[in-house]
Amino acid sequence: MSVASELIRGNTETIILAQLMKGDGYGYMVNKAILNLTGGRFELKEATLYTAFRRLEDAGCIVSYWGDETTGARRRYYSITDLGKESYRLRKKEWETAEAVIDKLLAVGEEGVSK
Amino acid sequence: MNEKLRCYIDDLFANAPSTVRAVELKEELFQNLTDKYNDLIAEGKSEEAAYNIAIASIGDVDSLISGLSGTKSVETQASKKRSGIFVSIAIALYILSPVPVIWIQNEAGVVLLFLFVAVATALLIYNGVTREKYVKTDDTMVEEFKEWKQNGKQKGKAVNAIVGSFWLIAVCIYFVVSFTTGAWHITWLIFLIAAAVASMIRGLFMLKQ
Repeated sequence: MSVASELIRGNTETIILAQLMKGDGYGYMVNKAILNLTGGRFELKEATLYTAFRRLEDAGCIVSYWGDETTGARRRYYSITDLGKESYRLRKKEWETAEAVIDKLLAVGEEGVSK
Repeated sequence: MNEKLRCYIDDLFANAPSTVRAVELKEELFQNLTDKYNDLIAEGKSEEAAYNIAIASIGDVDSLISGLSGTKSVETQASKKRSGIFVSIAIALYILSPVPVIWIQNEAGVVLLFLFVAVATALLIYNGVTREKYVKTDDTMVEEFKEWKQNGKQKGKAVNAIVGSFWLIAVCIYFVVSFTTGAWHITWLIFLIAAAVASMIRGLFMLKQ
């Protein structure tokens, strides 16, 4: 089963920041890690990935540099900044709050059934 | 198969503004799709299937490309500088071309004059043909995307061919006028006028599109 993309879309940037917390990476590497983590259920579209990269870069959350591969084409690597790390923690906290709220709101339905 | 991917991405970016960002994004996208494609092949997918999966994973790239306009154009950096140097050298050569005739006052001087003019004209034509095309950076770009994709390349070639032959005609006019009037000190202005007309031809083609 693939994951509903609308539910994830709002967290695309946080997901990318989380990947970069582990270390520098390039587009396909990040996307592959996401695919593997979700057991193949979720993968970002290239366009979504790069839009998020550009937005994060413009916001100063990440910086990019071109790798110096000696074989084949060069890859563009992304590295998280201190601002990005701070932003990641903030976004994660926001998500946890939202998750708790939504859980509580949706749990009402279950209670209704059991009564 | 790499070529097929490259062609597809070239088409996608056919109407993207010629900005540093667009060029880098294109390179990045191509590299990542190649990685993905190679991985899919390694998993045992057929070439056709791997290509289709890679292409399908791109998503809506139009909005991404439209977000690229407004950044500094590549043309304004390296290409413009190069173009400026070429034109300056060419004009300097035109101005200096009568000097050998005045100085040496025999056939050798005339031969040198032609050599100067030939080199200068070659520089201008080379510059005109290789110069990067001006790309519109307005917002209607995305709407015109598909139409452009079809005829963009052909029209670019046509304009270059017309401008290239125009320069040859300008050279002929220059020699005919110069030899008949003998006013070598002033006839080089023909090339300045020709440059203006050439720009106008390019401009008219841009408007038509």
